[in-house]
Amino acid sequence: MLRLENICLKLGAFQLRKVSLEVGQGEYTVLLGPTGTGKTVLLETIAGIHRPDQGRIFLNDRDATSLPTEARHLGVVYQDYALFPHLTVYGNIAFGLRLKDEIGTGVRHAVEEMARFLEIAHLLNRRPKHLSGGERQRVALARALVLEPHILLLDEPLSALDRSTRDRLRRELKRIHEEIGVAILHITHDLSEAFFLADRLLVMKEGAILQEGRPEEVSMRPENRFVAELLGIENFIPAEIGEGGQVFLDGMGSVDMTVFSPNPAEKFKRIYLTVPGWTIELFPERKNNIYLWHGTMTVVNLSHADGHIEVELEHESKVRLRTSVSRREAAKLPVRLEPGSAVETGLIRDGLHWVPRDDDQL
Amino acid sequence: MKSFSIIFSGLSLILVILVVIPLASMILSSDPEILKSTISDQEVVSSILLTLRSALWATLVSVIFGIPLAYLLARRNFPGKSIVQGLVDLPVMIPHTAAGIALLMVYGRNFFMGQAFGKVGVTFVGTEAGISLAMAYVSLPFLVNSAKDGFLAVDPKLERVARTLGASPWQAFFRVSLPLAWRPILSGAIMMWARGISEFGAVVVLVYHPMIAPILIWERFQAYGLKYAKPVSVLLIILCLLIFAVLRWLAERRKEA
Repeated sequence: MLRLENICLKLGAFQLRKVSLEVGQGEYTVLLGPTGTGKTVLLETIAGIHRPDQGRIFLNDRDATSLPTEARHLGVVYQDYALFPHLTVYGNIAFGLRLKDEIGTGVRHAVEEMARFLEIAHLLNRRPKHLSGGERQRVALARALVLEPHILLLDEPLSALDRSTRDRLRRELKRIHEEIGVAILHITHDLSEAFFLADRLLVMKEGAILQEGRPEEVSMRPENRFVAELLGIENFIPAEIGEGGQVFLDGMGSVDMTVFSPNPAEKFKRIYLTVPGWTIELFPERKNNIYLWHGTMTVVNLSHADGHIEVELEHESKVRLRTSVSRREAAKLPVRLEPGSAVETGLIRDGLHWVPRDDDQL
Repeated sequence: MKSFSIIFSGLSLILVILVVIPLASMILSSDPEILKSTISDQEVVSSILLTLRSALWATLVSVIFGIPLAYLLARRNFPGKSIVQGLVDLPVMIPHTAAGIALLMVYGRNFFMGQAFGKVGVTFVGTEAGISLAMAYVSLPFLVNSAKDGFLAVDPKLERVARTLGASPWQAFFRVSLPLAWRPILSGAIMMWARGISEFGAVVVLVYHPMIAPILIWERFQAYGLKYAKPVSVLLIILCLLIFAVLRWLAERRKEA
């Protein structure tokens, strides 16, 4: 469907560095990266608004690198929706159809059908400035989808909305994708949005793609600390690999990581053990082999949130770990959670992974 | 806060009064009888019509060339852009009589452009075409700058979206950029027309006859004195006020719609 090969582009402060990616037929791909990392530039390059300095763009296996924007048949929805303010909702949705079909036969039918599908049929005579954020979003989607594009490019489509609208619209995006089956490339800095929607996830930093894969895959096996942090992992335990391949956690003893794939001992001397919050279990019931490590830690910080408690634990080696415990779990614990209480802690092997440790790069 | 409002309002009011007093006193002190006879003075009427017409032509032709220039200045970066921008503003800065002489040196019968246009039967010295040329030369910045601001106010993303929806650059321009920028373009055109109507210096050098209204006023003042210059001035002022009031009203009305 869409394939980029080694796209390089320097544009003002932004730079794309050898970006290669592929979006398959009907696939929902999310490009995740912090703000200001060149995601919009990449999207506009795909749309043909910027010409890459190097590299090639393929649409349906045809080289589209030098094709003008209007010949690429792709839909774009911007963060602020960019609706035409001088046209009604109807005029906006009909814009592309009218360019193709000057006589207008079939335009009205197609517009009305798309408006019904997106539940905006009652808004057709309104001007964009009289619409809510969520309604504008639907109009922008309708305007792009009515042309049956090869691929839909979404630039932070949910960021400008309030939370409840955002939650509703992301379910809506999923429904649209499932019913129409159009390939989507969606860029965002929002992790939960990415996880909710993505068939495949691409992680971008400073104009380069760092990692790609299914979301669970990427979050289970981040390739470096940046990706791990972007995927919400807060805990990194410094570790060193000994001569015999044993792994020494910083002051917390040695652990067996030979079953990890890939095995860090094959390539690195210094790593971080990545510890997602959910892998930290307080008072593990059985000291069996689901834990990579277990030991005693001390509660140093507590903050109460709605329905759960954020807990910060400290090991005698000064290593700190953060996790959250639901109130229900907390009530079942043999000790009360308060600063200073000692808690037995286990780290569940299945959720742990590692990233190389290169202090210069941080 | 209160003193701020008072002082700012006071200073503004003084300025407005300074503008209004001469116009109002001239209009109010004029004898309706003389005014009436001036309206039926064939020389005055044809001179005013000539002024309005020449300024209109100057504006219409400039729109065709000025809008593309304004668009490029708003949207593109090109080497020498700031020089081009400076050149556009230049006619406002230089004395208009000097501008008229500069035009004469190029479009006069014995000069390069004058001869080139002469070959296709267009002469500028002593013709209506010359009046329009002089008016356009000194009032073009009003159109170009206003149109440029208009295009700058159109989010370039709208043009990009139009392109992704299948519009060629021409279609994106005519269906998105132009409809969204027409108001500043129109107001720039009105300003340019107004500036053209009031032009004296550049025109007088290039075309003394046929006489546009500002020159007619000047000639009557020189030859017969204040008493004869005033009715023509009053007539021209009233006419201009009426026209611009109507045009402004039209533009505002469309804005609210």
